[in-house]
Amino acid sequence: MAIEPSDKEGMSAAQNGAPSAPRMPAAAPELEPGAPTDLELMQSIQAEDPEALSQLYDRYNGIIKALILRVIHNEAEADDLLQEIFMEIWNQAKNFSAQKGKPLGWMVTLARRRAIDGLRKKQAYARAEERLQTETEQQPDAWVHNATEEEITFSDTRILVRRVINTLPPAQQQAINLAFFRGMSQREIAAKTNTPLGTVKTRLELGLKKIYDGLKELKDEL
Amino acid sequence: MSFEEFQNRARLYVIGALEPEETEEFEIARKEYAQQAEVFISQCYDLHEAFALSLRPEKTSDVLKQRLMLMVRDRQQK
Repeated sequence: MAIEPSDKEGMSAAQNGAPSAPRMPAAAPELEPGAPTDLELMQSIQAEDPEALSQLYDRYNGIIKALILRVIHNEAEADDLLQEIFMEIWNQAKNFSAQKGKPLGWMVTLARRRAIDGLRKKQAYARAEERLQTETEQQPDAWVHNATEEEITFSDTRILVRRVINTLPPAQQQAINLAFFRGMSQREIAAKTNTPLGTVKTRLELGLKKIYDGLKELKDEL
Repeated sequence: MSFEEFQNRARLYVIGALEPEETEEFEIARKEYAQQAEVFISQCYDLHEAFALSLRPEKTSDVLKQRLMLMVRDRQQK
């Protein structure tokens, strides 16, 4: 199923389909006319409709795999984990509640947890650490990939989110990167970056607040 | 804890970066601010979505999806 690039309308509310407090944009891709919203797909999955899972997979497998790869840096393991995560989405769908958040947020939370667990379980941690060390030394501010890729899916959304993230000083990006994509605690980040714990805490707090506020501003502009 | 402090902690909480001693204080404040706290925490989870959407989608093989759907249908039949 084709996914159009997200437009400037932002699809959060439409795709969520549930009344809720104002939310940040984190816009999901624009849907084709008549296509079910994420929430409708989740409801169908809750009713054990495999076709709904198939559609949700088509819509988000690339994003979820990117997230997994960001954590474990291994293509084969990422594929295995991607399959396990969508199986878990199928098995755990009944635990999803639209009142607590959007389907994509729920899936990302689940995927991130599984990826970080996987990283630790498979004892790939040390090797990944080494790779991460090299990455961070080479590109201390490299939160996301370069903006030159040719694929268009999600591109508008990604550019908007990146714009917000890129306003952060490299040290804040690095701290958030290690916390979110590596599941590191403040103490672990402090040890890894040879930075005082208090500084790490400040970087995380300031960075997350800036992203949160930036995304909210973006939403207001849309 | 002021609500502003709570908000700072909540953002750390949703990415799992609260230290144990902070978690305890956070949970106390969470109870204190009740519904207001839950609404804010729920909004903070949108950070997860934003971080994921900041990444370039990766290609996956069709075989992977076929395997997944086979597993799902197999699970349904059991």
